[in-house]
Amino acid sequence: MKMLTKTAAAAVIAAGAATFGGQASAATICFAFQDLETEFWVAGHKAITTTLAEGGHTVIERNANEDANRQLEQVRDCIAQGVDGIIIIPQDGDSATTIVAEAQDADVPIAVFNRPPTDLSKGIVVVADNATIAEAATDFVVDQALANSSGDGKLNAVIIVGDLGDPNAVGRKDGFYAAINKHADRFNVIEVASQWDAATALANLEAAVTANPQIDLMFTSSDFLFPTIRSVLEPRGMWKKAGEEGHIPLAGLDGDATACQLIKDGYVAATGVQDLYFEAESALNAILAAIDAGEAQPNQVIPDPGFALTQANLAEREMDMWGCVLLSEGFLNR
Amino acid sequence: MTLASGPIRTAAPVPAPPLRRSLSARAQDFVLSDYFVLYMSLAYVAALAPFLPTLLAPGNVVNVLSNMWPLLVVAIGQTFVLAIAGIDLSQGSVIALTSVVAAMLITTSADPAVLTKAPIWGVVVTAEGGPLATSAWAVPLAILAMLAVAALVGLLNGTAIAALNMPAFMVTLVSMITISAFAIWLTQSENIARLPEGYVQLGKGDIVSVYIGAKTESQLPRREVYSFVTYPMVIALAVAVLAHLLLNATVFGRWVLAIGQNRRAAEISGLPVRRVIVAVYVIAALCAAAGALLYSARLEAGRPTLGQGTFLLDVIGAAVIGGTSLFGGKAKIVWTFFGVLFFVLLSNTLNLMNLSSFQVDMVKGGVILGAALLDVLRTRLMQERRR
Repeated sequence: MKMLTKTAAAAVIAAGAATFGGQASAATICFAFQDLETEFWVAGHKAITTTLAEGGHTVIERNANEDANRQLEQVRDCIAQGVDGIIIIPQDGDSATTIVAEAQDADVPIAVFNRPPTDLSKGIVVVADNATIAEAATDFVVDQALANSSGDGKLNAVIIVGDLGDPNAVGRKDGFYAAINKHADRFNVIEVASQWDAATALANLEAAVTANPQIDLMFTSSDFLFPTIRSVLEPRGMWKKAGEEGHIPLAGLDGDATACQLIKDGYVAATGVQDLYFEAESALNAILAAIDAGEAQPNQVIPDPGFALTQANLAEREMDMWGCVLLSEGFLNR
Repeated sequence: MTLASGPIRTAAPVPAPPLRRSLSARAQDFVLSDYFVLYMSLAYVAALAPFLPTLLAPGNVVNVLSNMWPLLVVAIGQTFVLAIAGIDLSQGSVIALTSVVAAMLITTSADPAVLTKAPIWGVVVTAEGGPLATSAWAVPLAILAMLAVAALVGLLNGTAIAALNMPAFMVTLVSMITISAFAIWLTQSENIARLPEGYVQLGKGDIVSVYIGAKTESQLPRREVYSFVTYPMVIALAVAVLAHLLLNATVFGRWVLAIGQNRRAAEISGLPVRRVIVAVYVIAALCAAAGALLYSARLEAGRPTLGQGTFLLDVIGAAVIGGTSLFGGKAKIVWTFFGVLFFVLLSNTLNLMNLSSFQVDMVKGGVILGAALLDVLRTRLMQERRR
């Protein structure tokens, strides 16, 4: 599977279907997601639904439109329909914990994709090592910022924080600080709240940049905010490629197609990569295995180690990043 | 009435009403019946059941009922407001705020990484939880706090509308925006979880459940235990009975309907119109707080984003579908009960049809529009009958 991601997402999905399709007899899987507002979720949704359908499984999709109560009701409806397993992308860690308990109480195996519950001990949880990935990406821009500075003065580091009700956002923030704290005496940190919402991020980042016109590095907790960052920096003449006067080392996390393009163009220095196809494959394999084994309450944490794609390793690791695979297929031109 | 004179007239038999007229009258009776929406719900279920076998499965029936109770409680409050020809757009934000207030008082522990930037951190909530975390009276005190906060919001809404003659739409819209922002500010948009079991039970706990046996159809052995009587059911039905008595069996209820029919006439008649309007908005907010209790308990967290999105569509839609008039003066709690039942059934069946959430919302919108048109028809029929 890993090898296939290097060629094309479609091939990966097809191969995935062949790999896990035969693992379980035809099952009915409820796939309940909170919304599809970012490239990561769109690609994850496609990978999961296509693979299940091609494996001969029935997929019941439920979109909660970012409403935790609606997602709970949808999952209950799925249970009433007698589905064999559930995969959810929850609204947040707290609602994930409640929904996992609800499914397990009804003896329906459940897997949580990418956004983990606050209680990791229940359900199949596939989650990226957000802290390590964020730290690796931030390390790269920290080094660049320090190299660009002429003296020993303090530098301004901006972090755009996600919704801290989501453990992913907490892990990414922790990873950022782990990198910054290696040089704690050199950085002032400016936190910008986004709540995983582009409009909120735009308003707060505008205020932060206006108050602190000198930005020496910036880390966004999700790549989907790069267009927002650009819309704030560009009018101020701060959106520059590497090597140009006034370039700000930027880092993100997710590994989407936009980030890949921006790294290639030189605007972004690094991004932490979640291995989306590994995560989708792991969630599907685990839930189908549990169904086949008749295991109603499987509990397992499957970590995605991830990595950081940087300007330095772009040539060798580009096609390990799902966003670059999509980019090579013309995803951004569709 | 005088008797007709003359042999011919007296001998003539009274003509029987034409059959067509009789059918028309019966159709009118049907449309004007208190149970019209219940009949529609039953017909809807009967029509869909052959195509959706899950619809009448015990597990699905339990879901429908479970989803009904919190919505019913909130819709009852909206019914009072609609009855005086008002509207309360702030119910969703009251749910958000009161769920946060309760949760911050009784949470048993809190994560500093999540809440440390919230203004309540260190003041109300610490890593050891809220100030009532260890109290034996935590749950009742939290509920009292929710009701007090809600009553205050209702009082402000009602006073602005009744005393200052401000439009209800504008006042409650401003309340919705302000209170929602306040709730989000209190926790910096974070949820407050780890609520005591006694509180969570109020949102999802069973009082009586039924064990049917192992299910054999699925690939996995399922325990077939179905909730029968739940705490949310008891709370919602208690609120419904109280509201029914208040609206339909007291002088206050008659005042409410009279104000909705014609506020000016009610004022001239000497009714305490302003006080009634204030009381109605307080009732709406209290019902929202009761809804907050059920929603936050079932989700096991106080959430500053509860009641957002299309929630208000569900609340007003359910009340209007039941037959409560948007023009005021016409409302019954039993109508709202049936309206909520139909609305939840509609959502449930659309889910069972595997429609997307966008399609579900479009259909819901269409049904609410149909209910509003039906309201116009019913009002016209009632006016014609009075002539």
